[in-house]
Amino acid sequence: MSYWEAFILTLISLVIGGFIYGLERIVRARMQGRVGPPLLQPFYDFFKLMDKRSIIIHSFHAFMGVMYLIGTWFALFVLLSGGDLLIAIFFHVLSLAFLVVGGFSVRSPYSVIGAMRELLHMVAYEPLYVLSAAALYLVTGTFQVSGILHSNHTPLFYLPLLFVAVLLSLPAILKKSPFDTAEAHQEIIGGPEIEYSGKFYEAVYTAKWIEYIYAFFFIFLFAGGNHILGALLVIFSFFFFNLLDNVTARVNFRQMVAFHWYILIPLAVINLMLIALWRS
Amino acid sequence: MEKVVYALFLVPWILAAAVFALPGASLHRLRQVLTFASLPVLVWLTYLVWNSHLPITMNSPHWLKVLFVVYDYLLLLYFLYQGVKFKNFLVSVLALFQLFLLTWVLLIMPESSVPDFYVDRLTAFMFLIVSTVGTLICIYATKYMEQESLERENRFVAILLWFLGVMNLAVSVNNVEWFFALFETTTLASYVLIRFRWDEVSLKNALRALWMNQVGGIAILLGLLFGIKYYGFTHFTQFLTLAGKPGIVMIPLGFLAVSALVKGAQMPFHRWLLGAMVAPTPVSAILHSATMVKIAPYLILRLSPVIKGTLLAKLLIVTTGFVFVSAGLLALTQDNFKKILAYSTISLLGLMMLTASMGSSMAVLASLTLILFHAVVKALLFMEAGIMEKLFKAKYIEDIRRLIERAPITVTFVSIGFMSMTIVPYGIFVAKWMAIEEASNFLSHGAYVGSIIFMATGGVILALLYFKVIGIMTRKRGEFYRFNLEKLPFVYLVSTVPLVVFVIVGSIFIAALLQASVNPVVAAVVGSPAPISAKGLTLVTPVSELYGWQIIGAFVLLLIVPILAYFVHFTGTDRVYEYTCGENVKLNIGTYDFFCIQSVEPFVETTAVALFILTLILGGGLV
Amino acid sequence: MDFKSFRKKSPWILHYNTGSCNGCDIEILACLAPKYDIERFGALNRGNPKQSDILIVTGPVTKRAKERLLRLYLEMPEPKVVVAVGACACSGGVFRHMYNVENGVDKVIPVDVYVPGCAARPEAIIDGVIKALEILEKKGKEVELPRWCSVEVKPPVNRVKLLNRCLEELHGRRRG
Repeated sequence: MSYWEAFILTLISLVIGGFIYGLERIVRARMQGRVGPPLLQPFYDFFKLMDKRSIIIHSFHAFMGVMYLIGTWFALFVLLSGGDLLIAIFFHVLSLAFLVVGGFSVRSPYSVIGAMRELLHMVAYEPLYVLSAAALYLVTGTFQVSGILHSNHTPLFYLPLLFVAVLLSLPAILKKSPFDTAEAHQEIIGGPEIEYSGKFYEAVYTAKWIEYIYAFFFIFLFAGGNHILGALLVIFSFFFFNLLDNVTARVNFRQMVAFHWYILIPLAVINLMLIALWRS
Repeated sequence: MEKVVYALFLVPWILAAAVFALPGASLHRLRQVLTFASLPVLVWLTYLVWNSHLPITMNSPHWLKVLFVVYDYLLLLYFLYQGVKFKNFLVSVLALFQLFLLTWVLLIMPESSVPDFYVDRLTAFMFLIVSTVGTLICIYATKYMEQESLERENRFVAILLWFLGVMNLAVSVNNVEWFFALFETTTLASYVLIRFRWDEVSLKNALRALWMNQVGGIAILLGLLFGIKYYGFTHFTQFLTLAGKPGIVMIPLGFLAVSALVKGAQMPFHRWLLGAMVAPTPVSAILHSATMVKIAPYLILRLSPVIKGTLLAKLLIVTTGFVFVSAGLLALTQDNFKKILAYSTISLLGLMMLTASMGSSMAVLASLTLILFHAVVKALLFMEAGIMEKLFKAKYIEDIRRLIERAPITVTFVSIGFMSMTIVPYGIFVAKWMAIEEASNFLSHGAYVGSIIFMATGGVILALLYFKVIGIMTRKRGEFYRFNLEKLPFVYLVSTVPLVVFVIVGSIFIAALLQASVNPVVAAVVGSPAPISAKGLTLVTPVSELYGWQIIGAFVLLLIVPILAYFVHFTGTDRVYEYTCGENVKLNIGTYDFFCIQSVEPFVETTAVALFILTLILGGGLV
Repeated sequence: MDFKSFRKKSPWILHYNTGSCNGCDIEILACLAPKYDIERFGALNRGNPKQSDILIVTGPVTKRAKERLLRLYLEMPEPKVVVAVGACACSGGVFRHMYNVENGVDKVIPVDVYVPGCAARPEAIIDGVIKALEILEKKGKEVELPRWCSVEVKPPVNRVKLLNRCLEELHGRRRG
């Protein structure tokens, strides 16, 4: 992928992410036997928030919300521009850092709890993503995203267990049930995003759409050069994680970290080592 | 060139003697000038060594050997005296055992004509760290002691300067027996520095540091003993000739590696470094964390060509990787700022030794990068800890709450220090990235897969730790339109600002830095330079690239933007109070202290002991 | 660009119970459930005043809830509307003139739509919300204050100070 394509894709990622979010709300409603909002609902929210009077705690906090959007955008560009996969993963950490520092910078109990849990989310899923980068390198022979996308191998066939692990940790990265401890609307009312309002909340709200693209693109990589399979994988994982979101209750953060560390990571390692042993 | 190398040992000692000879409060300025002088002199000398034709080998006169033997005995007898005087059983017994082993070694030691000094690129690299970071610490100490007690300042600064000479000497000797002497001299230095205030806590911790490091000394002696028995080897360069040979006996190497683990405060021997923090002299803490413990990765790097790919290396990877993760975990439970730093030092030392034991050129490059940046960043952070303690009376996490309202510069420096240990464009991250990509080449080995998990998990746990602290510091009650920069003493600025500048500039030009300065060291250690190259700001590694625009972009996001955040004011926007469900409550937010992790501590220590024994027995080939 | 038309397409709701018997609250939740599904209109129950447009209040406003209601109201960014749901919220209902209640939401904060019923039926609540949206679309972005409040504000508003002044007045009124 050339820089220009990546740049344009990053720019329109906001629109695509909005559609994905709209679709998600419909799918979720249908699964619950409801009609659900229109597809364009996220954009209605977007324009409405534009028009609200903004109230903030202090400027540093509000600015960090805006930076979260820009940081996420930049992280997505790093991923799409075809560079190193590991670097792209760590850029994602960087973008979350803004949300976390913003969440910590106010004296709001919910915000501080949420920011801390946000970090614990990171503790849970980050090792898995690093492992899958190493696994993709093992199969395709390159860390470059562009290389993986043009690879002749299909990593999915070599890494089924790892794919299952990544699929099951998808709710953690997108903060959906059962791993939505950081957001937990019924409990801490959105966590680090609670003190944002108006235009500043808009930044945080849309940054989450971009995270959708980020996560699903990661799923897409598991198909290697086989882009049709990749699209199927993305669609499947989209429905799967919506189903998971609907049928599960929230676990607490210890259970979340324990599930990732004691079940998903060993699953990934078993897959990785078996393939490596088979190849050597 | 030999004279220059000798000067590197002697100049700090001469300065130390001069400082020591000028007691009293009135001569404070003079002592300060002398200490300031050490920086340019040592840097210039190191520059000469760095640019000379390396490696330099130097033979030593016979009287020097005799002198070292005499010194060894005197030192061990002093340890014995301390053990008897303070009725510390362990210290005395270990000292006696060391005396016994030393005598044995001296009896069977063969005559060899191998030069006793060996100054290669790696040594020069360590000189570089000692002569920049070490001297800056000494400069900082002059001001710090001014606020502590001027009466004993001469003594304290003299010890620090003397230590720099010892450190320089320790990394340039080739004779393992001499290395033992200097190893124990650094032990002596830490003992003297920790007990500097002569109160009960300091003495207790000093004695603990003493006996733990004595264990390391015993390991060196045993390694030397078996080295003589199996090969007749007494010098590091002789051990290096074993590289790549099949079926070598690992016992001496195993003992030497274990001594490195002890000096590097790896679990279960981590308590001496923590004790050094409880001792109320933060400057000694700096010296311990930033320079002295670097002997440990240095020793592993010296041995890495030999142990590369052996079972010993793999067990070292697992042990140090385990320490990397678990020290990070235990750090989460601490509420003392210096102890947090100590735990993260233990953790990152684990990472340095992990990458050093991998032994391939990329891994060694990562290890050296870690050593360089960690020395700078840890020195910076400990200096800031001292500043926070002295100027803002903040020692515990509870005290640093909302520090940003009082001390924006200090908070910015601490944040840069913390972020540079985890986040994208900084040197330590680059090292970790290279190490993970290098380990990905050997995924059929359990140890290497383990190392990836350890690196990923440990890194993210450290991120959790640092952001927890940053979050507490940057919390604010409300907007401040006009904030006052705190007034820092000139000496503090002189010693901290260069470190910050180096961290930032070094990370932006990481590609050029690695290629021009660190890669020659890799070539000296491994035999061939790491296959990296620099294209502008872009760092090209064999499998991947770190683009210049990524580095710049991350820096703009990470560095410029938060500083900008101080100056961005949304003046036209309403201000509001925090959401508390409508209740009127006093907002006094505490922090997470992760009590749940304390319950794993016994498990962690047991596992660490088990891994330690495994490394020694299986890795050292004692079965 | 005029964003006013989007206001009624994405009403986010904050629901606050000021001492109701939970009858009306159950009905409000019924609106979100599959049968009535007000998410069809883009409505979301946010539970966070800083991101909400519509404040749905149930209950007769007990003396203890009064101050909380005011805090929540001032925390909401304009434009905003208040819907009083149920007989109690409209006028105090069966609790009217009791020693511990304020006799309806409009004694504390300005109310735009009253939804009667004990308990109010979901259809009525949806109707009330739709009525409220019409009002919301016409509203400006000036800071709204309770009618009894004599504090003068000029933008940018420091709501911390505003709240303290309003609370002083509220307690002073009780004493007077």
